This record gives sequence, structure tokens and C-alpha cells, in this order.
Amino acid sequence: MESSEKKNLGTAILEFIRNNIVPIMFIVICFFCIPLSGFSPSYLINEIVTRMGRNIFLILCLLIPIMAGMGLNFAMTLGAMAGEIALIFVSDLQIWGIPGVILAMIFSIPFSILLGLLCGSILNRAKGREMITSYIISFFLNGLYQLVVLFMMGSIIPIRHFSIKLPRGYGIRNTVSLLNMRQCLDNLLAVYIRGVKIPVLTFLIIGLLCLFIIWFRKTKLGQDMRAVGQDMQVARDAGINVEHTRLISIVISTVMAGFGMIIYLQNMGNLSTYSSHSQIGMFCIAALLVGGASVDKASIGNVFLGVILFHTMFIVAPSAGAAITGDSMIGEYFRVFCSYGVITIALVMYESKKRRSRSRSAQELARAAARETESAGKAAVK
Amino acid sequence: MSARRIIVRIGFVLLLVVLAAVMLVIGRGHTVYFDNKTLEYEGQTYSAPYRVVVYIKGQPIAKLKARERGMKTTIGQSFGMALGITQEKDGEEQIIECFQKLPYNMDGVIINLPGYLAGLPEEAYISEFVAAPPAEDEDEAPGEDEEMLIDAEL
Repeated sequence: MESSEKKNLGTAILEFIRNNIVPIMFIVICFFCIPLSGFSPSYLINEIVTRMGRNIFLILCLLIPIMAGMGLNFAMTLGAMAGEIALIFVSDLQIWGIPGVILAMIFSIPFSILLGLLCGSILNRAKGREMITSYIISFFLNGLYQLVVLFMMGSIIPIRHFSIKLPRGYGIRNTVSLLNMRQCLDNLLAVYIRGVKIPVLTFLIIGLLCLFIIWFRKTKLGQDMRAVGQDMQVARDAGINVEHTRLISIVISTVMAGFGMIIYLQNMGNLSTYSSHSQIGMFCIAALLVGGASVDKASIGNVFLGVILFHTMFIVAPSAGAAITGDSMIGEYFRVFCSYGVITIALVMYESKKRRSRSRSAQELARAAARETESAGKAAVK
Repeated sequence: MSARRIIVRIGFVLLLVVLAAVMLVIGRGHTVYFDNKTLEYEGQTYSAPYRVVVYIKGQPIAKLKARERGMKTTIGQSFGMALGITQEKDGEEQIIECFQKLPYNMDGVIINLPGYLAGLPEEAYISEFVAAPPAEDEDEAPGEDEEMLIDAEL
């Protein structure tokens, strides 16, 4: 009896480790890297809190497509592009501070909806291959974005301000300064606790988004998305418009990504016109996966845990790398390697888990069929 | 689609448009330059005081002797300030509360303080500050390797 209990406990622990291997791995990495980095606790906490305020909104936008069974939305980059375009217009109009942030969010909505509709309708034609399709869509639309920003803005689309326009008369400069709206959200209502700045307003906005997601899950549309995520055929049979539901999930995600990008860039204080968005999807997805999420399941808790772990690793890795090898670039490479590595591990684990469960259900089916045949044989003998 | 849903959607869009319009007005950023320089206007000379201190919300933001310029960034079209004027060396500072409407279309607004203090019309003491465009080679178009950069400041 006792030994079977011990066995059960051992199996449960093994199962827990197997299910949470990525967060555990990151906790171990952080555990070793933090002392090596030599950062003071207050510096580290300050950095983590800043990065939480900067990134959580962006990562939360990934939850809704996962709920609708569309996997990790690599096309969140599209929302980021919409946010950047909105910020370019706001900079051109010279709208500063919080009004600038609000205006940029409003301007980003039509672009995000348009891009979300485009992406969603393509993904509806590529069911079962959403992640790779969304990844490629983000590359395709990045090209379009560059065409618009580099050649159309200033020539076809009126851009007035010389500080953002290239000297040749059209196209946007490599860097657009957002100095006049830098950390305006973070500084309003900011609280300092032992030297650690808590951006209360930013966290309030994040809290509101979390509440929205919790509420959204309970709505009819949210329930439909969950049904579609579990089984598309069953959902369709139940009368749910599967394509429309999936489309809406991508549109919501893209709009939220646009808002998230604006919050992210107001914190940074400048916009790298041609590169800010390019890696954002990858890092947000990596952070979500580090928090223990998978391709088909993610929660708000995963987002918070992921941001803390992933960004702790991001902060300490260069210094820890320098302390171990004498070269901080090793740490830089290490953190990039980790980001891509964790996505690979999560995808492999998801696939292997799916195959395992498929083979398990096939075995159960075979066993049931064998039992049925056996009982039928016995009945025939009788 | 039901009529109610259409009305709600139109209402939401209108709300966003109104909000955007409000943000466009209240969020317009300006850089205000204060010139304590002698002004010639319609054949008359308005000479600069010995010293002008510009206070905004009780804080001194520029202490200007004659022929000096100070600046302050501001959001919105209404600009309130207090001017501490000392006409002569070792003279007494006289504080004047002032309020100035800033033109929406100007990024940089130069206020000539002697002209303003003399009560001249706006076109006499307000002018636009036009910054020199940055040099041609200061910021180039993106290179081919730009895409591959990894945002280290994530």
C-alpha cells in the first residue's frame, strides 16, 4: 500500500517535471546566473518591474488565439507594425504625452483590424498549419510595411515633420524619437518603494486587460472560441461559425498587439522604424512558453511567470556570461539561443505529447476492439 | 446584422473619432522660447529688462538677462507662466502672472518678452522658431543588415 503510494507520488512528480520542464529549466538558469551577475537585488527588481510593465500587455495578446486553437500567433508582429505606423503619424502631428499615446492607440485600431482580417482569412485557409503560416505572413507584411514606410510616406502619404522624414524628402528615418511621450504612462501615478519604481498606471492597464480576458472567456464568443479550440468539427456541428470565430480571435489579438507595442515603445522612448517589430513576436512567444504555456494552453499566470523568468535571464545573462567566460557577448548569444531554444523545445514537446496521446487512444481503441471481438467469440461459442 | 448592433458600432466609432479629436487638441506639443531681447516694432523700441525669471507652476525654469533666450516644452494651446521682472541691476523683482494662447500650427513658438510686456499685438511678439533640418548624412535609410538586428533593449 505504502509502496504504491510512493510510486504514485513519484509518477506525479515526474509528470509535473515533464509538464513544466521549461519553467524549471529557467528557474535553474536564473538561480545560477543571478549570483554570478553581481547585480544588487534592488537593481534586479527594478529592471524586472520595468520590463513587466513594458512587455506583459504584448504577451497577453497571444492568449486569445491560443484559446481559439490557433496556436502561437507569430502574426502579432502585424499589430506591432500597426502600432508603429500610428506612432509615426502621432509624431508627425506632434501630439505628446498621454494624449499622444491614446491617439496612437486610436489610430492603430483601423490598421490592426485590417491586418488582422487579412491574416485571419489567410489562416482560415491554412487550418492546422496556423503557426508557420502566421510566421510567414509576418515576413510578407514586413516587406509591405517597409515599402509603405520607406517609399510611400512623405511621397504619397503626407508626412510633414522634418525630424521624422529622411533628408531625401520621402521615407521615415531609422529612428523616430518618442522622447516627448517617453514613459508618460509609467511615470503617471508611479510609486517608489525602496528605490524600485512601480509603474502603477501601466499595471492598472495590464490588470484591466487581464480582467477583460477573464470576462471574455465567459462570454458567448469566448465559449465559442474555446469550443473551436477543442474541436472544430464538433463546434461546427454545434452551430458555431468556426471561420468567423477564428477571424475575430486574430483581429482581437492584432488590435491588442498594436496597443501593446505602443505601451512598449512609450517605455523605450524611441522607435526603430525598421526593426522594432521584427523580433517582438519571437520574444513574446518565448516569454509565454518560458512561463509554462504550450501551443494549445496558456493562462494569465503563464504570462506573468514567463516575463519574470525570461527577462531575469535576459538581464543577468550578459553579466553572468562575462563573469564565467570574460566575454559579455557569450551572455548575449546565450539569451538569444535560449529564446529560440525554448520555442523549439515547446514545439517538440507539444508534438510529442500529441503523438503520445494519439497512440494511447489508438491503443485503448485496439484493446476495446479486442475485448469486443473476444466477447463476441464467446457468445458465438455459447 | 440587427439595427441595434449597427447603432452600437457607429456610436463606438463616433466615440473614438471624438476622443481622437480631443487628443489632437489637448495633446499638441509646443516648444516655447522666451526671448529677452530688445524689439523694434513700428518704429518704436521696446528694450529688454535687466533680468527676467520665468516661473512655471512656481518653479523658475529660465533666468534671462538681456539678449538671452530660454525654452520650455508644453502640451496644449494654453500656456500659463509668471514673469519675475527686474528692470535694472539691484532693482526689485516684480512678478506678473501671464497667460498666452499658443498657435496650433507652430511647433516652436518664440515669445518676445519686452514686446509681450508692452502689451503689443500678438503678431508683434510671437514668431515661429524654425529649426535647421539635420545634416544629410546624419541619419540614413535602413541598410540590408537592419532586419537582422536583435533588439538588445528588450
